[in-house]
Amino acid sequence: MPESIDPQRLRLADDERASGVLLGVRCLDCGVTVFGPCAFCQSCTSDRLEPVELEGTGVLYSYTVVRVPPAGWPGPVPYVLGQVELPEGPQVLAEVIDCEHDQLKIGMLVELALQAVASEGGTEEKLVYKWRPAHPDD
Amino acid sequence: MNQMPQGREVVVAGVGLHPFGRFPEKDLATLAMEAVLPALEDAGVRWKDIPVAYFGHVYYQGMSVGETALGKLGLTGIPIINVENACSSGSTAFWQAYWGVTTGLYDLALAFGAEKVPRGPVTVTAEDSPDRFIGGDHMMAGYALRMRRYMEDTGAPASALAQVAVKARQNGTLNPFAHRNTTYTIEEVLESRPIADPLTLYQCCPTSEGAAAAVLCARESLGRYGIDESRTVGIAAAVLSSGSYNGRGSDHSAFSPYRTEPGAIQAYEMAGMGPEDVDLVQVHDAATIGELQQLESLHLTPFGEAWRATTEGRTSLTGDIPTNTDGGLLAMGHPFGATGIRQVHETVTQLRGEAGQRQVPGATVGLAQCSGAGDVTTVHILKR
Ligand SMILES: [Zn+2]
Repeated sequence: MPESIDPQRLRLADDERASGVLLGVRCLDCGVTVFGPCAFCQSCTSDRLEPVELEGTGVLYSYTVVRVPPAGWPGPVPYVLGQVELPEGPQVLAEVIDCEHDQLKIGMLVELALQAVASEGGTEEKLVYKWRPAHPDD
Repeated sequence: MNQMPQGREVVVAGVGLHPFGRFPEKDLATLAMEAVLPALEDAGVRWKDIPVAYFGHVYYQGMSVGETALGKLGLTGIPIINVENACSSGSTAFWQAYWGVTTGLYDLALAFGAEKVPRGPVTVTAEDSPDRFIGGDHMMAGYALRMRRYMEDTGAPASALAQVAVKARQNGTLNPFAHRNTTYTIEEVLESRPIADPLTLYQCCPTSEGAAAAVLCARESLGRYGIDESRTVGIAAAVLSSGSYNGRGSDHSAFSPYRTEPGAIQAYEMAGMGPEDVDLVQVHDAATIGELQQLESLHLTPFGEAWRATTEGRTSLTGDIPTNTDGGLLAMGHPFGATGIRQVHETVTQLRGEAGQRQVPGATVGLAQCSGAGDVTTVHILKR
């Protein structure tokens, strides 16, 4: 089974399925939560931080359809890049998959999705966090 | 975040610029030298009197390129510092030169920058960074995210953003140093090749090659080096800052479009001025949306209204907020290490009244703002 693209930001579940959770830290002094690791609170510099698991759903704050990819981009072109705001506050940038371009809309609900991605010309796959439209009724 | 207290008054004594564009026949050191020599000549300063030099560049072109370039002028044994601060590398070199002189460490300082940017989309992280897989490491995609959200929040039409590029190109035609010197229409901008929706090609700055240089001197020492004070331009503020918490706990600089605001407030405070005192401004218009959000961060328009100022012509050469008077990044192009000092070159040229057809009449105060990855921002204010 592939490993996490970034174990400090994405922890994979111990089961065989490709599921996982985004990681962050919450400040015990000011309450601010950030995505990924930090030694001191980004807002108040306190060192009283607790690791937290972030919500797996969020709201699309902005998006773009990337038509000219950067060098080494391992996925299809064009691809959708989404800036997603989590309920805890932080924003997480990742590809939006399983969505027609004309269905993209600021404010839409999205949920975490994991995909195995191999680097350009590489054989080793990593599990990468992505977003896809959320269907709460499913 | 606090800057050091201001010391001696510092002036820009001379500036030099190598045209921006593509110069396959010249290496980086040659480009740099061809900006430094005109700057020394413009200042009327002898090379042997320069006691320190700061060199901004980003892309690897061999080690200690600052030493290689200046070695072609002659070896004088001075400290030469190579500076990398992304797109703000040049303006950071200028900042260091300012603080070297104002504190009394040096009487004179040379700030210069040069770059040969590879073609294609610009990325920030190392080649094996997770962000290369995740897809967010794409400078123009970051601007596209900001642009879509700005349009949603402010109601700015696509044509208003295109107008930023049209205006830049018009200014560029009046500047023989510009990488691009043709104009286009709003329609042509909107119909140009899509890069990252809603950004089209003509709304993205060209990646370029070029060089720029500035000689700084303590005002009280001008006589010692035979510098003509009448052509000097004072430095009222020089501020450098990096990212601070923006309320989002973000993992990408694209999330902080208004990161310039704290630096702007510091710069106005240091200069004892406000936005109402600024006669012309150079801002970091790597993409059209950048110009609008920088103008707002600098408090030159209210938040969410720079697009309207643009469509009303207020940011054109004849408006009340003349912006990117030399064509900005959109027309000049963007050789990272040179850009911030190119902004100083244009500001000095304007404040001396030597900008020819693109002269802003009677300008006495000019502001130059430059952004870089890492939420770097510089705000420099010059006054005549
Ligand atoms: Zn805190």
